[in-house]
Amino acid sequence: MFRVVGQIVAMAAVGALIWWLLSNLSTNLNRAGIGTDFGFLTRPTQFTIPYFTTFNARSPVWQMVLVGVKNTLLAGFIGVLIASLVGLVIGIARLSTNWLAARLATVFVEFFRNIPPLVVIIFFGAAVFTFGPLPILGEATEIKIPGSSNNLLLLSNDRWGIPGLAAQGNVGAYLIVFALGVVVAVGMWIWRTRVNVNTGAPHHRLLWSLGAMALFGIVGYLLLGGPFVIEWPSLSENRRVIASGFAMNWGFMALTGALGLYTASHIAEIIRGSIQAVPKGQTEASSALALNGFQRYRFVVLPQALRIAVPPIINQYLNLVKNTSLGLAVAYAELAALTSTSIANGRPAVQSIVVMMAVYLTFSLTISLILNIVNRRLELVTR
Amino acid sequence: MTAAAERAPAVPKGSALAWIKERLFRNFWSGVLSVVLIAILAYAGYRVVLFVFVNGRWEAVSRNLTNFMVGRFPRGEIWRLVAQMTLLGLALGVAAGTASGSARDRAAEAGLQYDPPSLAGTLRRFWSLIAFVLVLLAMTTTVGPWLVAAAVVILGYAGWQSWRLPRSLRMVSWVTTALLLLASFQVVSGTDGRAWVPVALVVAAASWLGVPVERLQARLRRVVSLAAVTVAAAVVFGVYSVIGAPGVGWDNWSGMNLTLWWSAIVIVLAFPIGVLLALARRSTLPTLRYLATTYIELIRGVPLITLLFMGQFILGFMLPAGTNLSSISRSIAAGTLFTAAYVAEIVRGGLQSLPPGQAEAGQALGMGTPAITRKIVLPQALRAVIPAMVGQFISLFKDSSLLFIIGVTEFLAVRGIAHAQPDFRVIAHAETLVFVAVGYWAIAFAMSRESQRLERKLGVGER
Repeated sequence: MFRVVGQIVAMAAVGALIWWLLSNLSTNLNRAGIGTDFGFLTRPTQFTIPYFTTFNARSPVWQMVLVGVKNTLLAGFIGVLIASLVGLVIGIARLSTNWLAARLATVFVEFFRNIPPLVVIIFFGAAVFTFGPLPILGEATEIKIPGSSNNLLLLSNDRWGIPGLAAQGNVGAYLIVFALGVVVAVGMWIWRTRVNVNTGAPHHRLLWSLGAMALFGIVGYLLLGGPFVIEWPSLSENRRVIASGFAMNWGFMALTGALGLYTASHIAEIIRGSIQAVPKGQTEASSALALNGFQRYRFVVLPQALRIAVPPIINQYLNLVKNTSLGLAVAYAELAALTSTSIANGRPAVQSIVVMMAVYLTFSLTISLILNIVNRRLELVTR
Repeated sequence: MTAAAERAPAVPKGSALAWIKERLFRNFWSGVLSVVLIAILAYAGYRVVLFVFVNGRWEAVSRNLTNFMVGRFPRGEIWRLVAQMTLLGLALGVAAGTASGSARDRAAEAGLQYDPPSLAGTLRRFWSLIAFVLVLLAMTTTVGPWLVAAAVVILGYAGWQSWRLPRSLRMVSWVTTALLLLASFQVVSGTDGRAWVPVALVVAAASWLGVPVERLQARLRRVVSLAAVTVAAAVVFGVYSVIGAPGVGWDNWSGMNLTLWWSAIVIVLAFPIGVLLALARRSTLPTLRYLATTYIELIRGVPLITLLFMGQFILGFMLPAGTNLSSISRSIAAGTLFTAAYVAEIVRGGLQSLPPGQAEAGQALGMGTPAITRKIVLPQALRAVIPAMVGQFISLFKDSSLLFIIGVTEFLAVRGIAHAQPDFRVIAHAETLVFVAVGYWAIAFAMSRESQRLERKLGVGER
């Protein structure tokens, strides 16, 4: 009896609170003459996004949301790459027998873990780029490949140029060939694994797979007559834009660099902790089996450490993706920055924020789903 | 691979050469690594020394030191902050002294030797904080801050002497600490408006805990404690309605002062909500469980900045027309909603870590669910999550920098004031940023060290 009444009361209280908030909202919005529909999504944004020439003031708001989603995901992806690589190196260095390497890694971790990511982002944005020592784009530092007139890097306080790939036609056909190569490589992997399981012969599956992929890549490139070439970065005639190669803007570099280093400090701690969490007996047992240092790590310690490390690392990835919303501080056109610009330009705040939150929730729930699947696969099978 | 799961074996003391050989040149690759790292370190050290002592234009920081600490706080009212700091020093001293006293008593009960915390140990624990305060003092031009720092240290030391007090006064010491903390808050914010509400709550809680009702009958005990709470709240309200001294409310706070108080207020507000959410999520009533789970997962799925935006742009519309909250109040509301979800997850972890035998023992004694929760489950669960709560507080303290984005002048945003001055419009951006980073770092590092110490002391994860 009490249980039923208690639940009804709780439901009613929460419902009443939500109803009260929403009725206030609609009353106040009506009084201010602000609509509550989502029609604004198809109307023009009336502002431009720096560096996005395909997007103009007449593009609708939903297109702006897509640009924001794309940039958020791009920053998240590159940030995750940087964080994983740096975090792995620092985490292993913390356990190094080399005293200096271990101490420096500790200093790195304790430094980045204890300052707000926003401070790191703004440090990169203001002290490295905007007010930093680098020249303006027109006088960009050109780092040349030794013995050639091509630029390897173009450095300025606004945009950086790095080598890119330029299409020469037939790229579509090449992609199909390459995809075929990937399929064959997966087939090789499965076949070699089966051979190893059935006959006990060494599988060398990495070698076979990569070989198949490389074969398809090279033969396809030659047969299709060079579908793309490497394009070196260079400035345009009037030295105002980067004409060739791949260009990155300062907001993107500040955001991904800073979030990469900040998250790397957390990942390093996770990796160190998980390696230390593998019972010592495992290492001793593998030594007793006469495995060498590499084998001990590759086949005994790391697989068990990864089982512990992967879930919290995925959580850190999720945090990184959520933290890309700080790109606002360095004028990087990700979702939160664009939404706030759009609200400042007179789009309805309530609906804009609802759209933004829905997108972030989708990201989080997707990553949580992946985490759950990984957790299930990593679960120890016990009798 | 240079990594090894075990540390290098201990080396006999006194042979520096052997130490270097063992720790830096163990084998060929380790030697190469050491040489490369030493070269990088030497160059980086050279650049850092050059930046800190030769090239750095630190006047951008030293001329704005007051701005960084208190921002736009009215300069005529600074005495309030001085009074607040001395009160806080005393409060922290009393708290530390009381904690040491309890530890001594527990050690005596167990028949163990008790070593009181030494001065050197305290300095080592808080070295980052002390170093930051010394840097601040070194940059001042007047003697005032030195006097304040001296007063805080002396009062803190005086308060610490409370560890000598007998055990019967221990509860009084804790209540004194709470009242001192409140007084330090009130001396700045004044007593007009609804300032009496938090004070009344704390005094009521203190009287509820402090009134000696042990010998009374159960029913009488309930009546007496309820009466004590009501009377205490009424007295506070009466006192406040008589005094009515205006102060500087938190809408006018900024700088480091705002950063610290914002984090403290948010965690204090979020804690009870978080505990209730955690209990609801573990409840056997499905409705409560679903509501709490939905709330927690929704909030944890979005970045804090979107909630702060919500506070800025939507919260005003969701309240009855005419309610006018400042952006600081709205950011406190958003921060509380956000932190409560994380506190709930931490507390849930504590609840799950408790063996079911504890609650079953309560049932065997004939206790009801509320009594079991309040007297058996929560005390143990909350004790187990203290380190994680400190971690959450650190993360909240770091997140307070996001207020900068919604236009609140906290510690990071004070840079805007400094760089609006004609002298520093385009120069010294690196200097102010390094100063801000060191400020955040000193406080967060000291707290994270404390949380690790607590973890070891409480033996979390070892039971």
